[in-house]
Amino acid sequence: MSTDNGRGTATAPPVQGAGPHPSPSSAGRRPTAFAAGLAVLLLVLVALAVTAPRFATVDNVRAILASTAFVGITAIGATLVMIAGSVVSLATAQTATVVAMLFLATQHLGLGTATLVAVAAGVAVTALQGAVVGYWNANPIVLTIAAGFAIGGGATWFSGGTPVYPRTSAFEVLNSTPLGLPLSVYVLLVTAAVAQWVLSRTTAGRQLYLIGENRPAATAAGLPVGRVTVLAWAFFGACVAMTGIFLASFNTSATVTLGGTLTLDAIAAVLVGGTAIAGGHGSALRTLGGALLISAISDVLLLRGFSTGVQILAKGVLVLAVVITVHVRTTRSRR
Amino acid sequence: MSAPATGGPLDAFLRVEGLARSFNGVPAVRDVSFTVGAGEIHALCGHNGAGKSTVVKMLSGQLAPDGGRVVVEGAVVEPNSRRAAQRMGVALVDQELSVVPALTVLENMLLGDVTAPFVNRRRAAAARCRRILDDMGLAHIDPDQPLAALGIGERQLVEIAKALSQDARLVILDEPTATLSDAETEHVFAAIRRVAGMGCSVIFVSHRLSEVLELCASVTVLRDGRSVATIPTEDLTVDELIVRMLGSAPHRLSGTRGPDRGDGRAMRIEHLHVPGRLVDFTLTATAGRVHALAGQLGSGASDALRALAGLQPQATGTVELNDRRVPLRHPARAARAGIAFVSNDRKSEGLFLGMSVERNLLATRLPGLARAGVVRPRRERRAALSLAQRSGLPEYRLDAEVLALSGGNQQKVFVGRCLGRDDVHVLLLDEPTRGVDVGGRAEIHRLLREAADRGLVVIFASTELDELLELGDVIITMRDGQVVGRYEGEVDGALLMRDMTHEADGT
Repeated sequence: MSTDNGRGTATAPPVQGAGPHPSPSSAGRRPTAFAAGLAVLLLVLVALAVTAPRFATVDNVRAILASTAFVGITAIGATLVMIAGSVVSLATAQTATVVAMLFLATQHLGLGTATLVAVAAGVAVTALQGAVVGYWNANPIVLTIAAGFAIGGGATWFSGGTPVYPRTSAFEVLNSTPLGLPLSVYVLLVTAAVAQWVLSRTTAGRQLYLIGENRPAATAAGLPVGRVTVLAWAFFGACVAMTGIFLASFNTSATVTLGGTLTLDAIAAVLVGGTAIAGGHGSALRTLGGALLISAISDVLLLRGFSTGVQILAKGVLVLAVVITVHVRTTRSRR
Repeated sequence: MSAPATGGPLDAFLRVEGLARSFNGVPAVRDVSFTVGAGEIHALCGHNGAGKSTVVKMLSGQLAPDGGRVVVEGAVVEPNSRRAAQRMGVALVDQELSVVPALTVLENMLLGDVTAPFVNRRRAAAARCRRILDDMGLAHIDPDQPLAALGIGERQLVEIAKALSQDARLVILDEPTATLSDAETEHVFAAIRRVAGMGCSVIFVSHRLSEVLELCASVTVLRDGRSVATIPTEDLTVDELIVRMLGSAPHRLSGTRGPDRGDGRAMRIEHLHVPGRLVDFTLTATAGRVHALAGQLGSGASDALRALAGLQPQATGTVELNDRRVPLRHPARAARAGIAFVSNDRKSEGLFLGMSVERNLLATRLPGLARAGVVRPRRERRAALSLAQRSGLPEYRLDAEVLALSGGNQQKVFVGRCLGRDDVHVLLLDEPTRGVDVGGRAEIHRLLREAADRGLVVIFASTELDELLELGDVIITMRDGQVVGRYEGEVDGALLMRDMTHEADGT
């Protein structure tokens, strides 16, 4: 593949990957068709990557992993919420910001205490939303929009609109890079492994899928819909809190805009992983794959000298392609 | 072909001749003929599965007949949609109301009007609707009122008014009174009579036979997809009508099959009440016997089961299971007390359609198969295999999506989910064999009988006489939210039918 050709199709790989996929899928089994689509996508990506300068270097792989970690940890948590049928939380960035501020403001109490306070805050705020969704059947989108404003307002009030600086820098240890990889990457991998295990091997995980697949049926069957939903949100809250802590350590200060585009980035990673937005299907490992794929594509585009705008555009096209593929897949099987 | 109904062809508005329709080779309607005169109120009666709703669907353009013809005012018509039927002057008022509560009465009446010009002339339309409402005796209804402010009976009337405003000359009413109170029913009847007085024909489909005799001039009886007779109602009693509907009425073959074990295990239900649906339902259901609640739509049979399963948030009363109080209004607590519920809507309130048979069979027993919340796949597999065997499901289907199964097998999965659990003491089933083929039906009946033999309390609700008689050790008939009668041992099908469909005289 010549450089010119590669450049010309730079934003196209996802389309090429998903485009030919729907037609053979009508004949074949769904997993095969999906795998074929992914394979085409990966091939295009690999072709692009191999031809890109400096892509296959250790430093670059490290960079990809590191840039995956922050969004990835949150996305793993969001996967559980989406599988449970609670769609998405639109208060993610705000929650991460508040947690980051709390974490930095309590540094003088020691790293352990500060971490504990931050995680507890993230879990409490998020699990509370989960309780409203799980026990009272609130619409999660409406609820989290409201919660997002409330939490964001809280952050502004708490900080007085100015950056929060720590009194000591005990957090520096979180920026360490054992074996050449940032600590956040290890946390991401452990989180993904734990989430995957919970989903596939615990009673609560199984019930999560059932509730997401058909909530009225789960209710009528007497499954603990409220409790399991709260557990999923609490796990999500812990994940958001960890992202917040790493963001705080990385930036060494926290402003109200610290969370940035975390909300939608996490949702994008979950969707690219193929988790059904309506619930009932998905996995933590696939979300990890989705997050890595997004990072890798951004990285390739960056190495090829495309602007940030093109990177974001490519991310959008990728999400769209996967969502359409998943939708075609599920509606076809429903007919 | 059966003999055509009486009535000269000239004054007949609608003539149905030899109508037939099959689904996947199974005939639902074989040969139906009748005639409805202009301004006549004509009833269609028949037991479940006789073909009433299929005939209604063919008349209203929702289904195409395989054979026979429909003649409106001397011309053969073949409507292929409800809109097309409407253009021919045939309007259907459905069991489920198709009015929009958030819109006003006037807006609802204009909704879907095929004769409306593209640009609505609102004032003219308003005047016309006012006139129609007045004609129907609904002078008290303000057309600018939102429909949500009206009672359910008045909404029904608005729907009839809507049909009239679209120049309907034949209105088909499918079970219009099933969910109405007596006063509301009177209102609807008065309006129907006025409508007929204006020259509009009416086809009235109802399970409530006393109402049929009160309202209609003649009734066409359907049985097994055939029209067996058209009879003027003045010569008819409810009992005669029931005999016509059932043909040779099925009788109870033997006495009680599931004996009272006498070990005192029972579900005691006292004064169970659901506002507007169920009045003072009291029943002691002993373990080991199958209890059948016999009642048509709106009878309260289904509501009683739902209340016991915790799915009626307004239910009140006392329920005890083996002398322990069962909490109402909480499905999870009812399940913990040992109550398993099989809903009549297995698609939206029962199965997890996109998941495998195994996952569905195990859905409600996960904690029992896990150790400290961690599942053990091999043990799960064994449990699923033994359940599949017991429920009569082929083992190789365990990994198939439930969606891919036939209705009968889906229902077996649903029922099987509740079996073989030590923590389930009560099995509640609402229409356990709806949409299930004959073979599947027999197997599900066998499952229920086995469950009772193992010492479970089994209560099911059904509208089908055959099922009630086949399966019920104790049959409780219901109507209008109240228990009408209780039968054990030998019982006549016609008697049950009378309880379910006819208002008791003098009381």
